[in-house]
Amino acid sequence: MSSLGRIAESVDHYNAHVAAEVARARTDKKFAAELRARWAKVQASVETTKSPTGTALPRLALPQTDEPGAIAEYLLGQGLPGEFPYANAAYREMYLDKGSSGEEPMRLFAGLGLAEDTNERFHYLSKNQKSLRLSTAFDGPTLYGMDSDAEGVLGKVGEGGVAIDTVEDMERLFAGFDLTRKDASVSMTMNAPAPVILAMFIAAAKRRFGADCVPNLRGTIQADMLKEVQAQNEVIFPIDASLRFLCDMIEWCVPNMPRWYPVSISGYHIAEAGATPVQQAAFTLSNGFTYAELLKARGCDVNEFGPRFSFFLDCGLDVEYLVLGRVCRSIWAIGMKEVFGANAKAQALKLHTQTSGRSLIAAEFQNNLTRTAVELMLAYMNYSNSCHSNSADEPFTTPTEKYALLASHGQSIIIEESGLFKHTMNLFGGAPGLLILERQVEKAILDVFREMDTLGGVLAAQEQRYQRSKIQEAGHNYEKQIYAHERPIIGLNKYISTEPMPSVPLARTSPKKQRLQVTRLKAFKKKNAAKAPEALQRLENVARHGGNVFDELVNTVEVCSLGQITGCLSHVVGKFRPMV
Amino acid sequence: MAAAKTSRASFATPLRILTAVPVCDGHDSAVTTINIELARHGLEVIYLGYHQAASAIVRAAIQEDANVVGISSYNGGHIVFFKEVVDQLKKSGNGDIPVFGGGGGTITHGDERLMKRQGTDRIFFAGTPLDDIMNLVKRDYARDAKPNAKFKGDRALARALTIAEENAMTVGGDYSKTSRPKAAPTVQKTGKAPGFVLGVAGPGGAGKSTLIDELTSRFLRSNPTGRIAILANDPSHPDTGGAILGDRVSAIYAQDDRVFFRSLATRGNLTGLSASAPAAIDILKKSGEFDLILVESVGVGQESDPFGIFGKAKKLVDASLFVLAPYYGGLIQLQKIALLNGADLVALNKCDHPMAHTARAEIQARLDQNGKDQMLYPTTAAKHFDPGVDHLFAAIATLAAKNS
Ligand code: B12
Ligand SMILES: Nc1nc2c(ncn2[C@@H]2O[C@H](COP(=O)(O)OP(=O)(O)O)[C@@H](O)[C@H]2O)c(=O)[nH]1
Ligand SMILES: [Mg+2]
Repeated sequence: MSSLGRIAESVDHYNAHVAAEVARARTDKKFAAELRARWAKVQASVETTKSPTGTALPRLALPQTDEPGAIAEYLLGQGLPGEFPYANAAYREMYLDKGSSGEEPMRLFAGLGLAEDTNERFHYLSKNQKSLRLSTAFDGPTLYGMDSDAEGVLGKVGEGGVAIDTVEDMERLFAGFDLTRKDASVSMTMNAPAPVILAMFIAAAKRRFGADCVPNLRGTIQADMLKEVQAQNEVIFPIDASLRFLCDMIEWCVPNMPRWYPVSISGYHIAEAGATPVQQAAFTLSNGFTYAELLKARGCDVNEFGPRFSFFLDCGLDVEYLVLGRVCRSIWAIGMKEVFGANAKAQALKLHTQTSGRSLIAAEFQNNLTRTAVELMLAYMNYSNSCHSNSADEPFTTPTEKYALLASHGQSIIIEESGLFKHTMNLFGGAPGLLILERQVEKAILDVFREMDTLGGVLAAQEQRYQRSKIQEAGHNYEKQIYAHERPIIGLNKYISTEPMPSVPLARTSPKKQRLQVTRLKAFKKKNAAKAPEALQRLENVARHGGNVFDELVNTVEVCSLGQITGCLSHVVGKFRPMV
Repeated sequence: MAAAKTSRASFATPLRILTAVPVCDGHDSAVTTINIELARHGLEVIYLGYHQAASAIVRAAIQEDANVVGISSYNGGHIVFFKEVVDQLKKSGNGDIPVFGGGGGTITHGDERLMKRQGTDRIFFAGTPLDDIMNLVKRDYARDAKPNAKFKGDRALARALTIAEENAMTVGGDYSKTSRPKAAPTVQKTGKAPGFVLGVAGPGGAGKSTLIDELTSRFLRSNPTGRIAILANDPSHPDTGGAILGDRVSAIYAQDDRVFFRSLATRGNLTGLSASAPAAIDILKKSGEFDLILVESVGVGQESDPFGIFGKAKKLVDASLFVLAPYYGGLIQLQKIALLNGADLVALNKCDHPMAHTARAEIQARLDQNGKDQMLYPTTAAKHFDPGVDHLFAAIATLAAKNS
């Protein structure tokens, strides 16, 4: 049995345990009294607050019961927010306008053109934020570890994200931001070349803030290579080498960057590529457990690396999204506790959610504002720790300023303006429909675990194209449903608009800028021409002899470009062989 | 419209379309859906994969003699990219192959106008019903493949193979008969030796394609000027007649002008190869272009003999390689694999698999029974620079040297 089989079993065991405890609460008087006493304490600990119209409210909504079975069901089955198995939330209080951490969940993904253009967008997006939360989108060449001067990529430079070739670009990208601030955090959607890009980030920060700033740097790098193989298709090196470089980076970050999440285990791309919500959850969680296994096998301590995992899910309009985050948190917690022996900190799944890009369509694109708003509601109902809301012009281009701002205001309207989340934690939990859904979704996820278990686990299933073929099949199905009118999409197949497609302003990078990026890169290469070969040789030696590559990368990036470095590494480990 | 239009009724062979996603772009969800639909509508889809350079798309279009190239682009830069593909096709004398595509909302109507002026045939916008796409593709991109004296180099060769495929087309399920045979295509002869032909057979998933690609890399490294050809046979869908020919996706070393890679759908032929394979092999040999010609069969079972090793007629290949993975189902199953008696070389692939050790001993014993000069090569094709593959390649080179 692979660990997936054991995890599925442990969740079943846990559910059986909860059922047994509920029964015991109803028969065992002593136990019932204990539960009641604990419940009274919990109730007493909840402070009250008032809505602007004067309604008194508790800061935490609890089930209105003092029946011991129901209490056991709640405390053990869902857990208080911030308590095992974390179905309700990873923390006790979130989104409340007073008292809680004070950081808004908003984190907007942005990247376009050259570093200075994205920098300008960052300043624009963050000007009204209390805390500084930046999230970086990189362009195609950067995502594939290629330099902007590589053959045939010029037209892609700065499109769909920012072009980063060197540590100097990285300095420009974050100019004017104090990255060492306590409430500053930077997220980077970067995968195959993640170790190189993070090394550039560290090097750039050291140049600005001094060598001892590293432990203060806070943020997340995606770096989840399994979902790359399965869905997003940004893989450069063979899978085993990709995983090795990732683990090198995690191992380095755990002691050296205590405020950094070195991996963001992502279902977003899996779902956007077509997976159903259940497949998204099953593949994402199983990928997460696989990283835990790999790191354990390298001798790392689950209680050290576990709390440094973060998760990233999609949130679309399908009904399962009402509960997906909740279900994922409890499966993760139970698996980490029972199968990996992790402590509380390593059990709590920290969740970033992005609204679904694929649900947004070109026809009558202003409707996308409504779609995103609904999805945001679901994301908050699942107590996502941070959220990205897509812009209404998502189908056309990298968001333009206007729609990016509307997307960010969408979050503020729900969280700050409306009273839905700011007074009471868990105002929406506990509805019978939600509980039914949770059970169904959880069972379906565990069924996928068991199926993958029979294939030999995540890596073996992946080699047999299991995840890819499931995702592709579901993606095909989704499109077929649209055109068979089985899935209404307003403006596309229902209430079809007769208006011609509007012409929207596009955020595109001019050829002049693209050439400027190449000129800068060439200048960097020329300046470092004498030092680069030696730096690459040192990196090659480390890679060849099994040392920690990340350790060396921090030096290499001082004088080498992204493409030079990925070229050197693939010389040692070979190239990824893609699958259909 | 660059392609000749023919009515649906007059085109007897499936339409062959090459699909790909541009360089630095991994958005493959649209293209995989389109691929599935095209195959469902009876087309042969040669899928090249995501993150593909314009030059790789052009090379594949030429070698596959595709009716049309379909590009699915999402990461921007489409105006430059489509133009690059169109220009490279034109420059190489293959401007008759139309280029079309889509990219959801990322390609605007304004972009389309410019792209059309620059030679792109058509763009499908976001929200186009799949059936509309299929109908237009079938209507507009069918063609009658004739020998064309203007075609040069690989395209001439590729067209010859297309005609060989058409000549081998089945009539009413009788695969031995040939429908409307066309004049034998002209292929240039350079007076060079015909090259060594190695047939590669084995069960589906054993690693034939991966191994062939690794052998290709050895060939390119050890032979600095020569060329290698690969004929990759894949099954057609028995009901729709369509096929997704995806071997190019994983063939990373085929991205080189010294490699001629051609995907062949079996079109109902059940021997494990396209019915055109004998003619195709002949064409490649006569071209004098190649030092090594590798012919991959579809996944074959215990009794098949795709290369005619046991028959009385002339064998299709100079030598054959049988590839199997450690999980063949035990000794009894192993006994039944006929090709193990006839293959010149046997590769036990996936030696990283826990059962490999036992398998190796069992297969060796099985080969010893034959009392022939067959060699067993343990390989791990999925691993780069695998020494087992090095040994296998050396053995092939030795056989090839003996042959010439
Ligand atoms: C799904 C998606 C993803 C998924 C892709 C999963 C996968 N494996 O495909 C994920 C989440 C991984 C992803 C990642 C990224 N994405 Co994206 N993604 C999308 C999204 C939401 C939908 C695209 C899609 O597949 N639609 C489904 C298809 C079936 O429908 P359709 O687009 O309407 O297409 C129709 C026709 O056009 C036609 N068609 C399409 N292609 C072809 C080809 C042929 C031959 C034919 C006949 C027809 C045809 O068929 C369809 C049926 O009618 C779009 C935004 C949007 N809403 O459109 C962004 C979008 C394309 N992505 C974008 C970006 C920037 C990225 C990233 C670069 C982000 C980053 N910086 O990290 C990465 C890059 C990933 C990579 N490896 O390249 C941008 C591109 C911006 C630009 N061009 O300026 C977009 C527009 C979003 C945005 N506004 O920012 N993405
Ligand atoms: N573990 C392992 N997997 C391999 C090896 N060779 C090929 N594979 C994988 O096996 C699958 C099938 O390989 P493929 O070459 O397509 O097989 P074919 O059907 O015989 O052509 C692919 O996922 C390969 O990556 C190997 O040596 N070891
Ligand atoms: Mg194959």
